[in-house]
Amino acid sequence: MRVSPMMPRLFGRGALTLVIVAYTVYTLGPFLWLATMSVRTTGEISADHYAWPRVFHWEQFRIAWVDSDFATYFWNSAIVVISAVAVVTLVGAAAAHALARYRFRGNRLIYGILFSSIIFPPQITLISLYQILVDYNLYNSLIGLTLVYISLQLPLTVYLLEGFFARIPQDLFDAAKMDGYGDIEIFRRIVLPIGMPAIATTLILNFIQLWNEFLFAVVLITDPDKRTLPIGIRAFMGDHFQDIGMIAAGVMISVIPVILAYAFFSEKLIRGMTAGAVK
Amino acid sequence: MTDVATIEAPATARAPGAPSGARASDPRRTSWPVLVVFVAPALLVYFGLTAYPAFRTIYDSFFTIEGLERIPVGLANYNALLQDETFWVAVRNTFVWAFVAPVLDVATGLLLALALYAGVPGARFLRIAWFTPVLLSYVVVAILWMWIYNYDWGVVNVGLRAVGLDSLTKSWLGDPNFALAAVIVTHAWKWAGFNMVVCLAAIHSLPSEVLEASELDNCGWAAKLRHIIVPMLKPTLLNLYVLAFIGKMKVFDLVWIMTGGGPLWATETVSTYVYKRAFNWNTFDLGYPSAIATVWFGVVCAAVILLNRVFRSKDRLEY
Repeated sequence: MRVSPMMPRLFGRGALTLVIVAYTVYTLGPFLWLATMSVRTTGEISADHYAWPRVFHWEQFRIAWVDSDFATYFWNSAIVVISAVAVVTLVGAAAAHALARYRFRGNRLIYGILFSSIIFPPQITLISLYQILVDYNLYNSLIGLTLVYISLQLPLTVYLLEGFFARIPQDLFDAAKMDGYGDIEIFRRIVLPIGMPAIATTLILNFIQLWNEFLFAVVLITDPDKRTLPIGIRAFMGDHFQDIGMIAAGVMISVIPVILAYAFFSEKLIRGMTAGAVK
Repeated sequence: MTDVATIEAPATARAPGAPSGARASDPRRTSWPVLVVFVAPALLVYFGLTAYPAFRTIYDSFFTIEGLERIPVGLANYNALLQDETFWVAVRNTFVWAFVAPVLDVATGLLLALALYAGVPGARFLRIAWFTPVLLSYVVVAILWMWIYNYDWGVVNVGLRAVGLDSLTKSWLGDPNFALAAVIVTHAWKWAGFNMVVCLAAIHSLPSEVLEASELDNCGWAAKLRHIIVPMLKPTLLNLYVLAFIGKMKVFDLVWIMTGGGPLWATETVSTYVYKRAFNWNTFDLGYPSAIATVWFGVVCAAVILLNRVFRSKDRLEY
């Protein structure tokens, strides 16, 4: 009799553990599988798709990097994403500061305009952006893609930074004004340093989203030399769909920067991604 | 910098908490050149690369555009759209996706968050592990799951064969009856971790007394979930649902890479169809896809406004 109340609890514990283990295998399993395949040759993989690597073929990464053009894709991605993130952060921070700090007619209207485009389906701008970039000779150019990426991340950047900047106490600004700071100096020497935690969050968030962006890149870039990593991987897969080991190595190359960013900034990233969803 | 007196009409002052000092020296006002410096770049980006292209797409939808040739066709594109069976299949698939998949995403996220909240050992590791798929690009997720669904050696079929259910093995992405579900499962795999993190933050912000009281009353976990946690988290869950819904109305990358909309339009979404008509089929007409994009733009905006309305009014009724 004394055992009976224990039973459901034990069962509950066991069931919970089972579910947790199962879900962890479900999320991490595919990823581990990918990692093992990236250090096995395609021949070995074809022989047994699920074997643990007997020899770690690290040269797969060198081959992917040099012979399979993943280095080109990687650097294209790096150039486009880093410049777009830098510009969108600066432009977004300036607008967010003005909207959070100053009172002027149309303040909320401008905020609404900038923010509302977050719900736009991408096709509404995609087709025209293609025409516009062709008109201005920016089609198939990394500069054109960078400009588009800046516009894609602007709403989110303004939204996140405005919320944070609005909470900086007004006293700081009043004191700075007394000390003779001008508006630009206030932005540069007070808002940017104090807003660093929020700015870091948007930097990482924008970086990861753009690093993974596919649709605009696939439309606006067709030249193989200008491909970013996602479309480079996809094109490689289209041409060599049986070369599983090399695809896996290429995919790992694209995943590593994101995992590194996450490892160092996981708290900031999660806070940024979830901002606004919790009420 | 210039310290010019304010130029805005004081009548527009919104905030009641304005400092009691003189109006003229309100520190929250500034001269318009300063505002222009701060706000103009963002507005320029917005109007040049979002508003103008959006208007141009809407305008283009009244033309047939082949290269440099533009022939005005009035509403012909929209009429053609009404007759276009593929479009309606795509609409149906997208709606199935947008209404069903968020339930899956949010429910999984909530259950995972509750598991973490229950204080299981290794919660920190689990939170990171379960969140990882959120970070992977659609290309990576698509490639991984194309392998998982592979007929010969994908883990789904290998697993089925291992337990003797050979009859259930199939080409998951090649079967029109299962392809859409297979892609939806993949999408849920990517997004469950995001919903989990949001739910976890929301649970932690709940008043702990209520949960403790329910524990004292020996409330079972199912009852606790139904009567306490879900009602209290309702605003968050609805928010997540709307967020997931918006995402699903736009879904492109995963479908395009995994199935290209096939087999037999079983996974075609509005986004993939627009892309096909604009850039993939050699019809070279940008007017018709512009019309699809315009219609869909209207549908997404209307759906978001409607969902917000419905959910908000429901909330008001309950309290």
